[in-house]
Amino acid sequence: MAKVWFTLLLLARVASAQELLKECLGCHGETMALSKLDLRTRESMLRGGTRGAAVIPGKAAESLLLRMIEAKDGVQMPPGDASKRLPPETVNAIRVWIDAGAPWKESKADTWTKYKPEDLWAFRPLPSLDKSKTVDAFVKSGSVADRRTLIRRVTIDLTGLPPTPEEIDAFVKDKAKDAWPKLIDRLLASPRYGERWGRHWLDVVRYADTSGYSNDFERPNAWRYRDYVIRAFNQDKPYDQFIREQIAGDELDAGSSEARIATGFLRMGPWEHTGMSVEAVTRQMFLDDVTHSTAATFLGLTLGCARCHDHKFDPLPTKDYYRMQAVFSSTEFVRPALPFLPGENVAGLTAAKAHMQGVAGQAKSRMEELRGKKDPDIFEEFKLYQKHTAHYKEALDRFEPKAFAVASGPIDGATDGGPNLRYAKVAAYKAPDVFVLPGGNIQAPAEKVTPGLLTLLDYAAPPVTEAIAGRRSALANWIANERNPLTARVMVNRIWQYHFGEGIAADTNNFGKMGKKPSNPALLDWLAGSFIDSGWSVKAMHRTILLSAFYQRADFTPRRVEAEVLRDSILAVTGELSLDAGGPGVYPQINEDVARQAQHRMGSLAPAYRASPAKRDRNRRSIYTFQQRSLIDPMLEVFNAPSLDMSCERRDTATVPTQAFTLFNGQFAHDMALALAAKLDRQPVRAAFQRVLGRLPDAAEEKAAQATLEKLTKMHAATPAPPRPAAKPVVHTITSELTGEQHRFTHQEDPAAFEHNLHPSQTTPAVRALADIVLALLNSNEFIYVY
Amino acid sequence: MSISSRRDLILGGGMGLGAVALSAMSAQGPHHKARAKNCIFLLMEGGPSHIDTFDPKPRLDSLHMTKFQKERNKFEANMNTGERYYVKSPFQFRRAGKMGIEINSLFESFSGVVDDVCFYRGLRAESVNHPTALYHLNTGNQFGGDPALGAWTSYGLGSINKNLPSFVVLPDTAYPQGGAANWSNGFLPAVHQGTPLRPVGAPVLDMTPPSGVTPERQRMTLDLLNAINSKHQQRHPEHAELAARVATYELAFRMQAEMPKVLDLSKERPETLAMYGDGPIGRRCLLARRLVEAGVRFVQVIVMGWDSHDYIENAHGARIRAIDKPIAALLKDLKRTGLLEETLVVWSGEFGRSPDNGIRGGGEAWGRDHNATAMPCWMAGGGVKAGHIVGATDETGLKAVEAVHPIRDFHVTLLHLLGLDDSKLRYLHAGREKQMSQTGGEVIREVLA
Repeated sequence: MAKVWFTLLLLARVASAQELLKECLGCHGETMALSKLDLRTRESMLRGGTRGAAVIPGKAAESLLLRMIEAKDGVQMPPGDASKRLPPETVNAIRVWIDAGAPWKESKADTWTKYKPEDLWAFRPLPSLDKSKTVDAFVKSGSVADRRTLIRRVTIDLTGLPPTPEEIDAFVKDKAKDAWPKLIDRLLASPRYGERWGRHWLDVVRYADTSGYSNDFERPNAWRYRDYVIRAFNQDKPYDQFIREQIAGDELDAGSSEARIATGFLRMGPWEHTGMSVEAVTRQMFLDDVTHSTAATFLGLTLGCARCHDHKFDPLPTKDYYRMQAVFSSTEFVRPALPFLPGENVAGLTAAKAHMQGVAGQAKSRMEELRGKKDPDIFEEFKLYQKHTAHYKEALDRFEPKAFAVASGPIDGATDGGPNLRYAKVAAYKAPDVFVLPGGNIQAPAEKVTPGLLTLLDYAAPPVTEAIAGRRSALANWIANERNPLTARVMVNRIWQYHFGEGIAADTNNFGKMGKKPSNPALLDWLAGSFIDSGWSVKAMHRTILLSAFYQRADFTPRRVEAEVLRDSILAVTGELSLDAGGPGVYPQINEDVARQAQHRMGSLAPAYRASPAKRDRNRRSIYTFQQRSLIDPMLEVFNAPSLDMSCERRDTATVPTQAFTLFNGQFAHDMALALAAKLDRQPVRAAFQRVLGRLPDAAEEKAAQATLEKLTKMHAATPAPPRPAAKPVVHTITSELTGEQHRFTHQEDPAAFEHNLHPSQTTPAVRALADIVLALLNSNEFIYVY
Repeated sequence: MSISSRRDLILGGGMGLGAVALSAMSAQGPHHKARAKNCIFLLMEGGPSHIDTFDPKPRLDSLHMTKFQKERNKFEANMNTGERYYVKSPFQFRRAGKMGIEINSLFESFSGVVDDVCFYRGLRAESVNHPTALYHLNTGNQFGGDPALGAWTSYGLGSINKNLPSFVVLPDTAYPQGGAANWSNGFLPAVHQGTPLRPVGAPVLDMTPPSGVTPERQRMTLDLLNAINSKHQQRHPEHAELAARVATYELAFRMQAEMPKVLDLSKERPETLAMYGDGPIGRRCLLARRLVEAGVRFVQVIVMGWDSHDYIENAHGARIRAIDKPIAALLKDLKRTGLLEETLVVWSGEFGRSPDNGIRGGGEAWGRDHNATAMPCWMAGGGVKAGHIVGATDETGLKAVEAVHPIRDFHVTLLHLLGLDDSKLRYLHAGREKQMSQTGGEVIREVLA
């Protein structure tokens, strides 16, 4: 009897072992066989892969298969952290099965990963919305945080700036029941809100003002897209409309400048075509980029993985990838003239343009003077000014009412992409055919495909047209659709992440099998349903979340503020922040060595970095600074500002020693500390605490700071500040491609035009000593963490 | 974390602090016995010509100035199409070392050390565009933004010297095309980012305070900061990250003390200094040795100026003269100090150059265009087959035809020599396990000792 039971049990195990191994076939099966290991048959398992036999019948403990699954040798399968491990009962079943000699029932093994329902959570239709619920029905929260903590938390969260001492005071004193919702309404109505939340969106779409690669030429009109995003958040543009405009604004609302500016989204990736580029490769890089980024941004899918082969983990076949790519095959780059809108900041454009024309004119006339001269030194200088002239030619367009946009098919006189591209003729234009490219190889096209949507989410959407125009509209309408289960989930998850530091599903750009599962799927679904129900209102979603007890709780996970929030907060608390909004990017004060660093541009050097001469410009919020792909403000970079080439779903907050250098030694921090010190006269220690930390020091802190201040004042009185150093010329050196020798260029800016920051030599020892105290406060954990 | 251990973090000195701050630095490897502990990567930016350096092509002498037509098509760069003519090398070649490899005669010093070198002629790049090819060589991905080889090495092997970064870049006078993304940490933790030591200005950004700030003043400000932070920490005992951040300030000041010592060449022997020469490349090569000695895992030295479309005789000639002494000195010096056994030295461009040229300059300004199908590359030191030539290119140098491997295999091989297995050196990012080779690759066995 016992024997019968054992046999029955074993047979059950056999079935389950075979079943379980199917999970591994995506990587160790017909399509892939990573490490040359194929788990489809008993023979192939005994044969094993590059690491040796996977299964030794009867010897589970020695079998590599089990050792990997149990991460015995430092390698884990399936790969990832401990959360990716197979459940213990599964591991046990495999152990029993191997120890029993690994019996195998012959059956045709699947060649495709079998999807487990739990991996497809994001594709399931949203459940119907229970309007009686609130966020707090899904989560538990303990006590409520104090008011001081709350106002700082929500103000930085919604505006990216700390509250002023007056705002803190007013909220702490406001005993009204609706003080909290009133505060939220005030912050959501502030123009600073769009600057903060627009920045989150720009992270995802990789906004930059330059194109990257060899020349890193300016995208002179991209700033209008940046301002469009900020306006969209400030106006609470319904998210479905926001999607439609960015994907197909030109098709759906051709009369609207706003909607056409929005299509800049499709061109946000790095891009360049030079005489050394291969045309088909350049075009394919754009098509791949736009296909992948559209799916990642709006659908949270890693569709790019299906470029070379069917997606290994998600039900996304390669054919779907290319069908979606075909949607963009008639998308052409244009820079059409579109008059400035009433809300756009065009103040100072005329003067700035005249100034740049002056600089450009000098470069050009110098170039012409040197043209044709044989001397190698002179020829290198000629090339330098030739490069600068090309640079300014692009850059000058930033003042023109044009849009960095796309169109379906080319437009006469508005094509964009530089002199090396062969443009399609408008009259004879035909949308280029798209083929499946196995392995992503453009030289080996396979099956031709027509434009289409993802097979998996085929909820009776109308088919995509094959005409030149209308393809993107169809895609946009399919994504911005309440029946698309991904769209709302992905966006509410992003919103949740920015409020709490972590999304309900932690990988906000990956809702597939390999992304982390939602920690609270019911909450995510409910939020998504509420979002659609509110007419896709982002501000309504903020209210839903912020009014919850969960957001107001005391044990909120503290977070270091992002790089831009840090810089903007320093400017704000020291009274140096300029709130001018919109317009072409400005150039902040950056580390002097980096500003002076020569930058290689194909064959020569870029013009030197020049900080904006007026404080009012260079002290603007970080979102308005010129975003150059090859030169990120080193202060922001060291505080984990992301690369501008890849979508950033979530900021890294790693602490590294170089952050201490930047914030404790950097010129910007010293200048701002001095600027605040010079503004405080009465009870300066107390005032400094209040301005920087939003609170008064306690007795011990005040005593320590006061004692330090007195000692430092004496020290400063004994050692006068050295005078402001004279402006040094910028010296750039390049190794010539023609001679292999080094050539040196010197450039002297006109120092009179620059509005300097306050210098220590202009202040008293007491102010300089106070600046050291302010510097300590700006470096404190309390200042750069949010609770 | 207990109260006492937290107090240790805040108040204790020495290694405890660094250990917390660099907790993200705990090593993932090694995965097997390493042949090298460190790597010095000499990156020749612009695409040096294999034909004019280490892989001469006498066949081009007879083809010289033979014209032919290459059709313009969408799979070729404009630069590489139209009327073309073959170009012979304007240089003399000399036999060097026991293996008798033919190298450009301008390599006078380097010819004396070739027996320590493994020349590899089978490598192929994929892009003929500088920045994409540079990103590919440095990060394994033609799009910028992925971690550089140095960052992966740092992630895999961790830091030896806790007061110095584990990945250092010594750039030329200008940043390379594509900028700092060439030494990015990508999605890896920020501690693995390459730290560029600038040839001008402060070597590490903001390592020293603005002029006029005395160490005494700095110490007082720092003490006040510590007092404020310590108070704050008491209010948030649950939050260990706060202590870690406090520790980074102390670590930063140790780095501030350590770095100038490494950069100070005045204690070097006069004959050592003479061997490297007094040029900027010699200085960078000597610094590379000192950094490796001080425990930096991966040093990348960048030498620009190899993009010789025209006048290759002048341009390559000057570049070869400029690197000859320094690279030879580096190998000799590493050997003298015993470091060569545990240091992998790599020399490579982002691609090679073509045997033919366009008709620019009326066919007088001989030069070569870009070529991704063959490129010059050599390795020396830890674990490579010294004194050998591996692989071969065809008779004109257009394509690598023997022991051919793509860049990803090159990366897998370099990691392998450093004791790291690319297939195990993974990082979970955005829900995907990522690795240097992107999709896996194989070790180039032919170059291993």
